[in-house]
Amino acid sequence: MLLNRQMIFLYVTLAVSVGYLVTALSLGAPITESGLTPAFFPILVGSAAIVFCSVLIVQALRAEPETAPANQTRSYTHVWVVVAIFFYILAFKPMGYFLSSGLFVFALILLFSKFEKLVFKAIISIAIVGVAFVMFQQLFGVRLPTLWG
Amino acid sequence: MDFIFLVFSSFSLLADPVNFTYVILGFVIGTIFAAIPGLTATLAMALLLPLTYSLSVETALMACASIYMAGMCGGSITATTINIPGAPSSMMTALDGYPMQLQGKGAQALGHAALGSMFGGAVGALLLIAVAPFVAELSLLVKTTGKFSLLAFALIVVVIAQRGRIPQAGLAACIGLMLATVGLDAMEPITRFTYGYSSLTAGIDLMPVIIGTFAIAEVLTQASARTDISAATAAADKVKIRRRDFLPPLSDIRKIGFGCYFKSCLIGYFVGTLPGAGGSMGSFLAYTEAVRTSDEPETFGKGNPKGIAASESANNAVCGGAMVPMLTFGIPGDPITAIMLGVLVINGIQPGPQLMADQAGLIAPMLAALLFSAVVLIPLTLWLIGPYFIKIVSVRKDVLYAVIALLAVVGSYVATYSTFQMFMALGMGVLAFYLRRNGFPVITMLLGYILGPNLEEFLRRSLALSNGDPTTFFTNPDSLFFVALTLVFVYFLVLRKPTKVPAVIKAK
Repeated sequence: MLLNRQMIFLYVTLAVSVGYLVTALSLGAPITESGLTPAFFPILVGSAAIVFCSVLIVQALRAEPETAPANQTRSYTHVWVVVAIFFYILAFKPMGYFLSSGLFVFALILLFSKFEKLVFKAIISIAIVGVAFVMFQQLFGVRLPTLWG
Repeated sequence: MDFIFLVFSSFSLLADPVNFTYVILGFVIGTIFAAIPGLTATLAMALLLPLTYSLSVETALMACASIYMAGMCGGSITATTINIPGAPSSMMTALDGYPMQLQGKGAQALGHAALGSMFGGAVGALLLIAVAPFVAELSLLVKTTGKFSLLAFALIVVVIAQRGRIPQAGLAACIGLMLATVGLDAMEPITRFTYGYSSLTAGIDLMPVIIGTFAIAEVLTQASARTDISAATAAADKVKIRRRDFLPPLSDIRKIGFGCYFKSCLIGYFVGTLPGAGGSMGSFLAYTEAVRTSDEPETFGKGNPKGIAASESANNAVCGGAMVPMLTFGIPGDPITAIMLGVLVINGIQPGPQLMADQAGLIAPMLAALLFSAVVLIPLTLWLIGPYFIKIVSVRKDVLYAVIALLAVVGSYVATYSTFQMFMALGMGVLAFYLRRNGFPVITMLLGYILGPNLEEFLRRSLALSNGDPTTFFTNPDSLFFVALTLVFVYFLVLRKPTKVPAVIKAK
């Protein structure tokens, strides 16, 4: 099968490896009279990565296609977790630790559980954020961004 | 001999309330993380890494040692009681532990596991204390070409040890090496692969790599899998463990025999010294050996305490073994020692041949904590909180993963107070998640990333010293030794047919 999740991952890795090798080649000649240059090792690594990628792609193309059970539903929760972490990092400094972390923890609890008992989950989120703040700021002396400076 | 005295005098540091608290806390956290299926002691250590900024190096390393020891034995709790190994290193323990649980001897099985872990941990730590100074002295004899060959050996072994998925391991190692080349070149003032981002000039920091690889990737894996824990929770609710049943009968211990304990410890210790092998391989080989040499092999897999003793002695002895290459050559044997290496690097200490000579005062307390955890904390923890540990599997997963994600993301901010590191940790987490999902071993990526800078530097220096003559790697005795060692490992791990696995393991 030319396109499944594993093949897409391998194609992306191959593309990144090729891009890495092209950038390495643009660093200059790998060997000069004075010895190996900063381009030598990346060229070696990039080439090895392309070889491994090619082997894996050929192996995957030769392998029997796996048929997934018809009733298997795909979970995309991990994608939403990535999105939540991304927006949390964006909001971390502008919104301050408390507000951004509170919303983040609440969102994750909802993602890992059912959409019910929202008040209880909000209280748990506040408690977690509070305990983590005490741990980081008071116990370990880490300065976390807050709206009051 | 001086080092051995130094280690034993370091036990006095445990009398310090701060050190003692962190060692105990580390052990309890390590046990909890190892006991919960899906979580590992590696994850606990990754979450602890940012906190090491505010701790003294000795305290941080002592806490790491106790987490490590706890992580190896904690998995046996759920492996024995509900047949779900909390950690991969306890898989072999489940083969005989769970049948004992079904026979109503669950507490006794846990007692055997604790005794094996205690013995294995202690022997591993003692061997480490005795052997490490000599290996460190030997390591000083290794020159530049030998250092390159040694690092190449470590990387090749960790790749070929992944039998059945060597191309995946090779590609993962290449990805790690690629990450290591980002930033300023070590020998010339040239930046590479920064694509104009000044934040990348200093390279990719170790902290986001570790947090991303072990903490964020784990949260994403759990979110993707959404394993149903109701069965495990229901099974845990049924388990009743009485404290008085923990003590294994002397007749059982005699039947297992000192030879079995000690041989398993040696197997675990030597497996630990190999890069990338880890506790699961140690316990697997020790269990296989126990079955092979037993007079009654048919009883294994049906509740034979010898299987538990072999597996647990070996996986805890791995702790001592894995620290030998980390302390003497700066080569981590498994993910946990890689994080310990991170603790040293974060505190500006260069791991490698000089470490034992220059910083013995920092290393000795860690080894004392390792021995203390094995001899005192393993039996004490089981005795005091063993009956309640099984309830850990019932902990709310939504809250647990939210806490882990919060600690991981905020933890990656601690190093530089920049959101760039947080994004970097997220990026590494996504990368590690997709690598794991597609069957790529992330340990090889991590080792490639950690060993990459030295590998490149020693390669270039070796060839500069020999005027570009690559035969230098075969004409220098220290380098030739590691080249020959690499070939031996390639023969045994790639070319030679695998040894027969006992039927009981195959069946399970």
